Amino acid sequence: MELLEYQAKALFSEIGIPILPSQRIDNPRDLKGLKIPYPVVLKSQVRTGGRGKAGGVRFVANTIDAVAAAQTIFHLPILGEYPDVILAEAKYDAEREFYLAVMLSRSVSRPVLLGSQHGGLRVEAAADEIQQVVVEYDFSPFYARRLAIKMGLTGTLIETVSDIVEKMFHLFVTYDLDLVEINPLAVSVNGGLMALDGKVTVNDDALERHPHLINLLSGGHGSPLDMPKRESPFKLKALQPNGQIAVVCSGSGLTMATLDLLSQHGAESACCLTLGRSVPTALSNTDVIPTQGSTTSTSLNTTLTNGSSPLTELGVNPPDPGSSHPAIPVPMPLVMTNVVNQLVEHLRQSILDILQSGDYRYITVVLVNILGSVITSQDVVQAIADLCNSNGFKTNGAHTGRTTKFVIRWASSQPPEVKAELQIQLGDLPIYLVDDLDEAVTKTIALAQPLTDL
Amino acid sequence: MNLSADSKVLLQGVMEPLGATYGPIMRACGTQVVAGVSPGYGGHCLGDIPIFDLVEQAIAAIGSIDTTVIFVEPYLALDAALEAITMGIRQLVIVTEGIPPLDMVQLLRVAEATETLVVGPNCPGIIIPGQLMLGTHPPEFYTPGCVGLISRSSSLTYEVALELSQAGLGQSISIGIGSDAIIGSSFPQWLQILDEDDRTEVIVLVGEVGGDGEEAAARYIAEAIDKPVVAYIAGRTVSIGKQASQSDTLMVMSQRLESKTGKTRAELGTAESKLAALKHARIPTARRPSEIPALVKKALKSLEKQSEPV
Repeated sequence: MELLEYQAKALFSEIGIPILPSQRIDNPRDLKGLKIPYPVVLKSQVRTGGRGKAGGVRFVANTIDAVAAAQTIFHLPILGEYPDVILAEAKYDAEREFYLAVMLSRSVSRPVLLGSQHGGLRVEAAADEIQQVVVEYDFSPFYARRLAIKMGLTGTLIETVSDIVEKMFHLFVTYDLDLVEINPLAVSVNGGLMALDGKVTVNDDALERHPHLINLLSGGHGSPLDMPKRESPFKLKALQPNGQIAVVCSGSGLTMATLDLLSQHGAESACCLTLGRSVPTALSNTDVIPTQGSTTSTSLNTTLTNGSSPLTELGVNPPDPGSSHPAIPVPMPLVMTNVVNQLVEHLRQSILDILQSGDYRYITVVLVNILGSVITSQDVVQAIADLCNSNGFKTNGAHTGRTTKFVIRWASSQPPEVKAELQIQLGDLPIYLVDDLDEAVTKTIALAQPLTDL
Repeated sequence: MNLSADSKVLLQGVMEPLGATYGPIMRACGTQVVAGVSPGYGGHCLGDIPIFDLVEQAIAAIGSIDTTVIFVEPYLALDAALEAITMGIRQLVIVTEGIPPLDMVQLLRVAEATETLVVGPNCPGIIIPGQLMLGTHPPEFYTPGCVGLISRSSSLTYEVALELSQAGLGQSISIGIGSDAIIGSSFPQWLQILDEDDRTEVIVLVGEVGGDGEEAAARYIAEAIDKPVVAYIAGRTVSIGKQASQSDTLMVMSQRLESKTGKTRAELGTAESKLAALKHARIPTARRPSEIPALVKKALKSLEKQSEPV
């Protein structure tokens, strides 16, 4: 999750990285109460890049010009993104501009410090000049000093610049950041330093353990923070709006592989739904119910311990400290039926949501390829059959005049009679069970005829 | 490294839903799951698996432990791993998804200093069909054989295993190394292990877009791996965009570095970049999972020819 410039600068200010006096502008009218002396620079607060070139950064010398410029900027989309906030900032005379960054390198599995004397707009052209220091062990200021010297700095700048790098690194580890970047770090004639722009990206997985950041990110906008939803184990991604195929898979790798296969045949997919870890993140009291599970693989043979209530509800007493290991059994089935039922329900609902959504009006076929131990092919068939029989199931008749069809990749160790029997039971529901992935793909494409065939 | 049916295995976070689901499945595959740790559940049992509050209590009761499989929730997983390493466990398989990368960096510093093998996080773990399963691989898709499988993904690994099993090509071992930005062990490390593994004759590498792991693997295979390798890359037709820890500037910089050092002009992390690296290293690459068995059979045939008397 990327912070906007003014949010990044709020963090800089907290830790002592020098920033200019600035004021947040939510509305052009706010400029009437501007507390910074003119001239000021008005900057569009968007996450997309290239705002300078697009006209999202303007210098103004008086209130009238400022209000006009602000109005323009609020209506100026930068690569499709409109600003909700503008940052008004004092002007600064920079003699030089440096580039500094701290990021995590996948290749060496360590944080790296980056810096260059060729900062500002020139940085990309001079990308070869960016110096790198890998923080191999626990951080200590000498790493920052090494960067400053690699950058070619001398005299007092060594200490002042490395001080800023240290502070950036401190932010990086304190808040689980993916990136901290200052470009440009302005250097005045006297050697004074100022962070003219800042970019901070927070790691999405870590965000929940930083209430301060969550606060910062959602503060004052009125709209709740757009956090990745963790309630549903299914993640939906839009692809081609006119696509006729929806793909449902377990795991991002399998989703990509399945999409690749469809693409290889020239088919366009409207969207893909990916099942993440197929077990919810917390056991609720109702999950712990002993049963054989809805399917059992014939190769598995485990003894089940029976108990009929969740541990907490039973108020199971802790064992005597003296006894070695009383087998107070924790009731736990091989496959928890309730967990499976929840997943099947999520699957059904997620697919229904897609079909009923106005965003995917041209879908005529859904290809389901789910592999795993918890939710089996039979569970998937059950979910889709329920979907087809439910009242909420609407055909996409409005646009295509045809019923949505389902191709389910059958990946089961059950004998072939089971699949054959199931296909018969499905009757004339538009559900096709296919063993082989390549065949499932060609079947899907055959079912999704071009619209012109109507 | 001790990965066999005799390995004594601990489950940390055994009372997390994932742990409680897969613990019994692992046991049923032949894994010697000797104990579980879940603070607060000490003194109870999951089926036959005794549960303790601390790793040290488990070791005191059971004896030494070779491997731990960690299902502990993301913000507590680093602590669980450090506890295991402190108690002398030298093989960790971390199944947990969503561990902050800086936690992993901390873990790797300790793991490297203690020569501890870490697999994952966010991975299905390891399976040696017929002998043991550490993690979440569905045993029904696997069958014993001579093909070693190394992959970044979970379900896609099962897909490839299924293709191989159906073609009569069983697997010696399958390792999911995880696809997070910071992982405990890399493609080159596992390629080396499989190159030395007696049971493995051919290696299948399953990669995907993002990062530079496959490019590094291709270089390593050309330099150091003797056994034949077959590859497959998922995500050829998917656009990846900017990585999380990049700005526009850093993206440009990494592209410049890549085109300077590598022979490829393709953007780092893309399918083109990986396919080019594999081609350069002369590694046969399948265009779809179903093509993998044919390439493996071809590799096995040429191995046979090599060992025929002149």
